[in-house]
Amino acid sequence: MRVSVSNLTFGYDYRTVLKDVSFEIEDGDFLVVVGNNGSGKSTLVKCLLGINPVPDGKVFLDNKEINQFENWIRIGYVPQKLDDFNYEFPITLNEIMHVSRYSKVTEEQKLALLDRMGILELQHENINTLSGGQLQRVFIARALINRPDLLILDEPTVGVDKENVEQFYNVVNGLNEDGVTIILISHHLSPGNANYTHIMQLREGRSFLRSASDLHAGGDSRHGV
Amino acid sequence: MEFEIASGFIRSVLEREFMQFAIITGVLVGLLAPMIGSFVVIKRLSLIADTLSHFSLAGLSIGLFFLNILGLPIQDPLYIGMLFAVIGALLIEALRSYYKNYKEISMPIVISLGTALSALFISLSGGFSTEIYNYLFGSILTVGRNFVYIISITTAVILLLILIFYRQIVIISFDESYARLLGIRVNLFQFFSTIILGIVISLAIETVGVLLVSSLMIIPVAAAMKIGRSFKSTLLIAILFSETSVLVGIYLSFILGWPSGATIVLFNLFILGGVVVFRRMFFKRRLEKKQQESQAI
Repeated sequence: MRVSVSNLTFGYDYRTVLKDVSFEIEDGDFLVVVGNNGSGKSTLVKCLLGINPVPDGKVFLDNKEINQFENWIRIGYVPQKLDDFNYEFPITLNEIMHVSRYSKVTEEQKLALLDRMGILELQHENINTLSGGQLQRVFIARALINRPDLLILDEPTVGVDKENVEQFYNVVNGLNEDGVTIILISHHLSPGNANYTHIMQLREGRSFLRSASDLHAGGDSRHGV
Repeated sequence: MEFEIASGFIRSVLEREFMQFAIITGVLVGLLAPMIGSFVVIKRLSLIADTLSHFSLAGLSIGLFFLNILGLPIQDPLYIGMLFAVIGALLIEALRSYYKNYKEISMPIVISLGTALSALFISLSGGFSTEIYNYLFGSILTVGRNFVYIISITTAVILLLILIFYRQIVIISFDESYARLLGIRVNLFQFFSTIILGIVISLAIETVGVLLVSSLMIIPVAAAMKIGRSFKSTLLIAILFSETSVLVGIYLSFILGWPSGATIVLFNLFILGGVVVFRRMFFKRRLEKKQQESQAI
């Protein structure tokens, strides 16, 4: 899915968080957004998901004005804080997948997805008994159940051990190879893990975009101010 | 001896209409309360039941004032109680969106208003009476045919709505942000579920009373969530605990002459205590077994 943001400025009350942010990624690209705490990464995600109201003409998803965009199940989202999910109340992985399924996905496709995420054997487990790494994969599977064209991952490897981080990047890289556009938000970039095509740095709300090929060639194709 | 008491109870159920009404009401409230209560607990809104029951009491007191003092032709104060429970629920929603970062503030504000209005109108209606006592502590043995009709229809409608919108309700309860992302109209669902909550609470007041209604919704769920492994099994266990409490509570209150509401709630708490003890023993035994196994290695 093509994502285009042009001169987006956004703030809460009197504080401006994003200043004139611009970038464009094409179908099948893999964008990594890096920045320190408070640089506006999560605010940008909320703008892309339509949670933060943005003015017309600033954000386009699949060439469609975000305020007119309706096909949200084409976007998969893995939140930064799993705390948003009340997972202390018993619910199994299978039940989560059942209630999250909003498109025509067969039982076989669901099982194949769980298998790919390495959580097939956990489908009847209560999710509050799972480890941090397993839980992370559950939420990625949930984001993928409706077979999205764009997957947004907000700091998905925070608190996940090294082995699971590697496994996580293998899955994400594989999805990207299958044509899913990825936007990965990260506090730190681990370039060895993510096969990204673009990297954008957010510094005090301003954006600096480079393509991977530019980086390797030592070029400087800056976007924004 | 016990057999005679039990057969006396069964004979009474078969012969006396008020006992049949009590059993039907108890079974239906026993089904509805934990079902709605589960969604309330998931959203960490357990105090909402207490708040709404107190606000509903204000409506019941105003209804009594209209009926007994002003002599207005009100069929039953219950309807005003229901209306107030719904108004209280909407007031909570409004305050929760006004105090976005301190949402829990809404509860004490609404409970204060409800309690103050109740105290005022109970006083204006002539002070404490049997009717007020029944509102406070419940009187399942005094429910009439009309109430049985109302609660039967309400249960059928709510069950149908839960069946139709099961997926949306579960997603909204567990993860509101994700529900929005899936395009579910969260605000609309919340509006209707708040109204349903108000109606269920005002109906449950007849069973266990204002002061105990939240326990009927929360305690069976609190016990079930400690042993359930899935959402559905937790819901079924909560309903099982709730129905057991209601039926045993009615039976004990019949043979011992205890107040029905208090007996139901005490049995509910007895089950919760049993679950806590059982879990502790179970985990202790499992831990000991593991330690023995590791020592053997």
